[in-house]
Amino acid sequence: MDSELSLPHEMTFSTLGSAAPVLAPRVGKLALAGRQTISTPAHVPLTSRGAVPHISHDMVRKETAINSLYIGLEDFIERKHPAPLYNFPAAVHESPLGKFICAQDDTTTVLGARRFPAIPCPPNNTETSIAISTSVGFRQLEAHRYVEAVQKLKPDIAVGLADLVLGREPGLKRREKMVDRTHAYTRDALEQLYGKSVADEQRSQAKYFAPVLPLDNAQQTLYLHDLEGEFRDRISGLALYESASLSHIPKSLGSLPRLLLSEPSSPHEVLRGIALGADLLTVPFLQACSDAGIALDFAFPVPATVQNRGEPQPLGIDLWSSEYAKDSSPLVEACECYACRKHHRAYFNHLLAAKEMAAWALLQMHNHHVLDGLLAGVRESIQRGTFDDDVQVFNRAYKPELPDPTGDGPRLRGYQMPAAGPNQPRRMPKVYGRLDEVSQKFAESQSSVATPDTDAEGLERHGFAEKI
Amino acid sequence: MPSALTFDCHAKCSSTKARASTLHLPHGSVPLPIFMPVATQASLKGLTYDQLRDTGCMLCLNNTYHLGLKPGQEVLDAVGGAHKLQGWDRNLLTDSGGFQMVSLLKLATVTEEGVRFLSPHDGSPMLLTPEHSISLQNSIGSDIIMQLDDVIATTSPDHARIKEATERSVRWLDRCIDAHKYPERQNLFCIIQGGLDLDLRKQCCEEMVARDTPGIAIGGLSGGEAKEEFCKVVDTCTGLLPENKPRYVMGVGYPEDIVVAVALGADMFDCVWPTRTARFGNAIVNSGTLNLRNQSYANDFTPIDEGCDCVCCRPTEKGGLGVTKAYIHHVTAKETVGAHLLTMHNVHYMLQLMGAVRQAILDDQYPAFVRRFFSNIYNGDKTKYPEWAVGALRGVGMDLLEN
Repeated sequence: MDSELSLPHEMTFSTLGSAAPVLAPRVGKLALAGRQTISTPAHVPLTSRGAVPHISHDMVRKETAINSLYIGLEDFIERKHPAPLYNFPAAVHESPLGKFICAQDDTTTVLGARRFPAIPCPPNNTETSIAISTSVGFRQLEAHRYVEAVQKLKPDIAVGLADLVLGREPGLKRREKMVDRTHAYTRDALEQLYGKSVADEQRSQAKYFAPVLPLDNAQQTLYLHDLEGEFRDRISGLALYESASLSHIPKSLGSLPRLLLSEPSSPHEVLRGIALGADLLTVPFLQACSDAGIALDFAFPVPATVQNRGEPQPLGIDLWSSEYAKDSSPLVEACECYACRKHHRAYFNHLLAAKEMAAWALLQMHNHHVLDGLLAGVRESIQRGTFDDDVQVFNRAYKPELPDPTGDGPRLRGYQMPAAGPNQPRRMPKVYGRLDEVSQKFAESQSSVATPDTDAEGLERHGFAEKI
Repeated sequence: MPSALTFDCHAKCSSTKARASTLHLPHGSVPLPIFMPVATQASLKGLTYDQLRDTGCMLCLNNTYHLGLKPGQEVLDAVGGAHKLQGWDRNLLTDSGGFQMVSLLKLATVTEEGVRFLSPHDGSPMLLTPEHSISLQNSIGSDIIMQLDDVIATTSPDHARIKEATERSVRWLDRCIDAHKYPERQNLFCIIQGGLDLDLRKQCCEEMVARDTPGIAIGGLSGGEAKEEFCKVVDTCTGLLPENKPRYVMGVGYPEDIVVAVALGADMFDCVWPTRTARFGNAIVNSGTLNLRNQSYANDFTPIDEGCDCVCCRPTEKGGLGVTKAYIHHVTAKETVGAHLLTMHNVHYMLQLMGAVRQAILDDQYPAFVRRFFSNIYNGDKTKYPEWAVGALRGVGMDLLEN
């Protein structure tokens, strides 16, 4: 963790070494007013309702190296405007957003309109608004409301509004619309936040990361041209939605930090994004693995002990597996994370089977630690100039995909999953129904706490009781 | 019988029966009176054991019934007991599993041999005996283990059945003592039964005290009986129990119940309520319980409990998290983190309450403490004080209504 602090109201991003401006891995430092300096490439942890899922705030501070957070505005604006977080009595120099979610003062907050990954919304985006999903349903977020959020909530970094099509490939006409709308959103936002008509003291201190659409270069030429020209001195970074977009960045924008909001399916894809020049990355598989009971297990550069094993190693271990029921070794040998220092595999196997929340909390801490280790290794490797070779060794040493989940995760909330369409099965089994005795008995027989999930012989083996 | 604890009584209240003591157990010393949080399945609802430690907890519960099902005796033996399983190096107490057996498995019947039930998966008849329960608790390795008792609701109208259950619990205690393999490192507590019948309770006390277990529990309460009855039973039992042993009232409870039961001479309490209610968004504070899911807290940017020094409520300048009611309202029942934060607050509240109770007894100020405590909850309005509390305290020489 880097604890250098920089001067107020400034953001500097400096890349080290003489890397090419685009399409090459690079290391850098992102220094924001009063925040911990972030060494890039870095991972930006995703939040849900302002919290790092499963890890309570005190453990985030004590046992993780988390120094930035991605926050979706849609998690906060459910009922009438203004939502509670706008009313937070923060001092002038403080961010009501950071204060409301109890973020540490030196944590960099990155605000986007939507959670990441966002759930596709049935309503369409419009010229002046985008569709969002809140815990009480779908609604529209007007572009000017988002600008207002940036002004009032004072995030360190604001990801510009983009007209994205989620869950399906946009058609040709739709793509044109995406570019036109995003172009307009960006122009208006930059004018309202930093324009000449805005009084000096009213000007937003948030750093605006302009979106680059997940489309071909040719389709967004005009927009990119404006980013290079008219908008250039008002934007502080770029937000990209797929690693392919990294190749569309004009050279003249090469010095801007790049936030890659994508869903890599494996650490190999994370490395691919970094190889193409991503500076800040989101890694949703981190929490997906924690929820599924999978402890990540990889290191970069690959340690000799792993290289010597010959065949490709799994990228994680599935703690639901009964082979760990009596295993008293840590999740990963010699790992220094909280979970590995304090607990062993047998405990995780038990916690998952018992559906105890501690399983997910501890796995999250471990998985964050493993990913942080990967990124620290990446930064050194790039500086040493051995990155490309190290990636090749990594790709050979580990299996190409994460292990498939086998067990159940935590109960998902509506705002965490796509809306059910017509004629589709229920998303979740009915919990409460008619209060007839049969269904109640059935529910009892399904309850994981009240009833053993083993037969009489199993009970006897468990020393629980004997058959008579 | 052998004992793996020592019990030091430091002070007794000069008017009520309250006492302040220290219980030295194999995994550290526990200040009494104490509230024990319930980590049912070897985990305190999402908290890490360092977070639990930070609340000051020295002794928490695991449930034998649940650990017997998952992970089971074989795993417990293989990893070396529940302390090693969950990475908790302070004390553990386990119940016998009888209570869950009877309350969760509707088809259970109790016979002299043990609890008979049908395996829910294949319907085979099964039998859980006192020997099974002790064997499991020996594998768990808890510092305090409980006898298997014949649990029936105190509200049962069948007096003959209550009498049978009481006498059977004494016979089962003998079987538990015989089956107990490690009396030098695990303390077996007997459980006084007898429903609401004070004569039965007296008989049971006599019989069980004669068995000389290291500690004594008063069981069969917290099952929906009237509070007056509850207090009478506790008062009667503590009057008959030896001064030099810890007294544990099982399954209690709410702060008010605990504060009164301490005045009646009880030392140890456990209840899932503080941690369960936290998961539903309820915060325990000096004035009672706040339901933070209520819309009125959406814009309330004050700490959960002003003046509380738990990690959530402490301001950021003092190393706390600066959590507000509005933030809990925002995350509760939606994110697991909301449950973690309130669970920490509620456990901390219960433990600091017990700390304050203990200090008041040491200072011989307990009656004044109890008056202040009730005044806080009822905003000074004595007409609202519960009659059961006034009556019970009067019975031990204290007038709750006095100024």
